[in-house]
Amino acid sequence: MEENELAGRMIHHESMTASTEEIGELIVALLPRLRRFARSLSRNQHDADDLAQVAVERALRHREQFRAGANLASWLFGIMKNAWLDDRRARARRGEVALPEDSGEHPVVTPADTSTSLWSVSEAMNKLPEDQRLAVACVLVEGMSYKEAAEVLEIPIGTLTSRLARGRTALAAALSDERVGAAP
Amino acid sequence: MKYDDDTLMAFADGELDAAKRAEITAAMETDPELARRIAQHRELRARVAGAFSPVLDQAVPDRLVTAARGATAPGATQRRGEVVQFPARGTRPPGLPWRGREWGAMAASVALGAIISWKLLSPADPLVTASNGSLVARGALASALDRQLASTQVEADPVRIGLSFETRDGHFCRSFQLRDAGTAGLGCRIEGEWHIPVTTEAATGDLRQAASPPPAVLQAIEARISGEALDPAGEEKAREAGWDTTRR
Repeated sequence: MEENELAGRMIHHESMTASTEEIGELIVALLPRLRRFARSLSRNQHDADDLAQVAVERALRHREQFRAGANLASWLFGIMKNAWLDDRRARARRGEVALPEDSGEHPVVTPADTSTSLWSVSEAMNKLPEDQRLAVACVLVEGMSYKEAAEVLEIPIGTLTSRLARGRTALAAALSDERVGAAP
Repeated sequence: MKYDDDTLMAFADGELDAAKRAEITAAMETDPELARRIAQHRELRARVAGAFSPVLDQAVPDRLVTAARGATAPGATQRRGEVVQFPARGTRPPGLPWRGREWGAMAASVALGAIISWKLLSPADPLVTASNGSLVARGALASALDRQLASTQVEADPVRIGLSFETRDGHFCRSFQLRDAGTAGLGCRIEGEWHIPVTTEAATGDLRQAASPPPAVLQAIEARISGEALDPAGEEKAREAGWDTTRR
């Protein structure tokens, strides 16, 4: 009887509903990764930080949707993915950005971005179609497993791996072009 | 044995089971073409990961830290109404419906707390690290939570232990305050680690009042505590049991 009552009242720590404050601190700890993921989807660090900020604010507004015990990082990456796609749609509607596949534009280079390796990989990423870029960002940049990446992107694993394979092929081609082009 | 590109990609990504991995590793030794294709996958993976990894070491802009704490930052909700909307910068088209400019202004009012608490996570000598989506105590904080007794601690200790207690779900938690970082919090011993479910700003310097934790920590204690806080004898006993409620 007493034991039953105790068991009923027992709340396992991990399944306890995280308070807003707790989630806030956990998000703070994840900010470096969120910025990296955002950077791999954006043209420069400033846009990346804007994206990260939108994702964080959206996450806090919808924090009741977070299942305590679930992976907070995956949840946040998923929110960022949606925020990024929303932003791309909005920009495309306003005619600000041509679709990357048919545009010859170059990413804005900010002083913080001048490291050639970041610049050239970022430029090559920018040429990928959105779905391939997301797959590459999750698996190659963030080092997620296929399973986690598929969950974040809300697609079946088979879809993820085919996007990843196509993204890799295109990236490898873009990066070797650039290497050939840079040769004297 | 022929392998398709998807299999080699999965190999490079560490997605194959041990048997398949061993098989391909063995095949690579006698098949230079296979080894070359795998090396290409690995190089690309390393290059892409390496290009973005420096971002992890950059200082995180305050506006993001503030946004993450936004909903609970002290005074934030009350002050929101007074925040001045900054004009959009001419060089940038209006982008997403940022509330960034508001947050930027708000940052000024709460930046102190944000910066101080950020020190906890500084890469040089972190007192707290993120592990599997949870904050965990490290370094001096972890050892103080392990060893220090509230009844015997001295003013010079960098970590001040407040209350120790048992939770309703059978763990030990201890409130703490960092003398120099202006941060107080709660550490809960779960599976051999001190998890930090809450941290908050606290006064720096004089810790004689530390017996009374800040409101946010008190609230976290009240949400968890079973019965009463441990007395000095109970605290010592819990330490001897390695802060494991099943070993007393």
